[in-house]
Amino acid sequence: MKISAFLIALGLVLGIATPAIVAAQPVPTAERPGGAKEVRAVVEKTHPHDDIVESHGKGMAILFWIFAAVCITGAVFVVTRRNLIAAVMGMVGSFIGIAAVYMMLYAQFLAVIQMLVYAGAIMVLFVFVIMILNRPEDEPVAPTGRAGQVLGGVAILYLIGRLAMILINVTLPNKAMALAAPAAINLPVFGAGSGAPVSEAVGWGTVKAVGTDLFGGGLFPFEAISILLLVAVVGAIAIARPLHPHDGTDADPGVHP
Amino acid sequence: MNDLLFDVGYGHFLVLAAVLFLIGVAGVLVRRNALIILMSVELMLNAANMTLLTFSRMWGDQSALAAHTFALIVIGVAAAEASVGLAIVVAVFRGRRNVDVDKLTTLRH
Repeated sequence: MKISAFLIALGLVLGIATPAIVAAQPVPTAERPGGAKEVRAVVEKTHPHDDIVESHGKGMAILFWIFAAVCITGAVFVVTRRNLIAAVMGMVGSFIGIAAVYMMLYAQFLAVIQMLVYAGAIMVLFVFVIMILNRPEDEPVAPTGRAGQVLGGVAILYLIGRLAMILINVTLPNKAMALAAPAAINLPVFGAGSGAPVSEAVGWGTVKAVGTDLFGGGLFPFEAISILLLVAVVGAIAIARPLHPHDGTDADPGVHP
Repeated sequence: MNDLLFDVGYGHFLVLAAVLFLIGVAGVLVRRNALIILMSVELMLNAANMTLLTFSRMWGDQSALAAHTFALIVIGVAAAEASVGLAIVVAVFRGRRNVDVDKLTTLRH
């Protein structure tokens, strides 16, 4: 429990620190005189690889390893802890680490959504249900015996190893785009007076860019997901409602047959 | 080794997503509490989202932002799934006083 609290505190501090560090990274843009090309030339000389995400020193690499450790430690907590609240706290730490990794991938909007929806809303829902259940579990892990557990662990490690061997060598087909930060995209501005159509450069992965795509090509999935959420809310209320509300208090689950 | 440690590339993000997904798979297979199984499913959805965003970052142009939209839709579906799943857990617990998936075998007989 103390470890999970430490994990969450670490994730919080790092989650606050990351945007600042990402913002402090020099983004090679066309306007900066002699910026992008020099940086890229130096980087290509010192690093022969073609798929380095952040090439301005070792800071981003160290941050990536820290966030990866937070993610994986939280996930392992979820699977191994017997205490359900400890599992939820590990899950929150894992989600915070995942949000930080999203931030490293220039998905600022998705990182904020991850924090709000997952670490905020869904995990609170889990905590509510755990408090309603309020029952320690007897046997948390399927009784397969020591041999079965060892076999399962070896199988998982083997799968991880094979996947890592394949995935670690993934490279970008278009090598020219690999080094730089994602370029700003140009969006048309509507309703900005009259005359010639103007365009506005917004950062890749920001709310504006994602929102333009969401309400452009993704409009039908967006509306469909709203219907789905409505159905889910109604269904959740219908399922979780007591069957016979008149013969007992709702505060004591289990009195209804 | 030094390259592997300090030249963090897209492969690192993909491997991290794969590891998270496999931990989620292990949670679904090993644990017997329905709540933990639901949380492991959430973990797997997050790993899939991370893979999507990594490939999106890899291409890095305007059309690749569709992956962000897709990840947002996945988060919405995950929220709906969590709410309905937890409602089912509460309903099952109300009737049977436990949420151990190995003991919920009424349909088998």
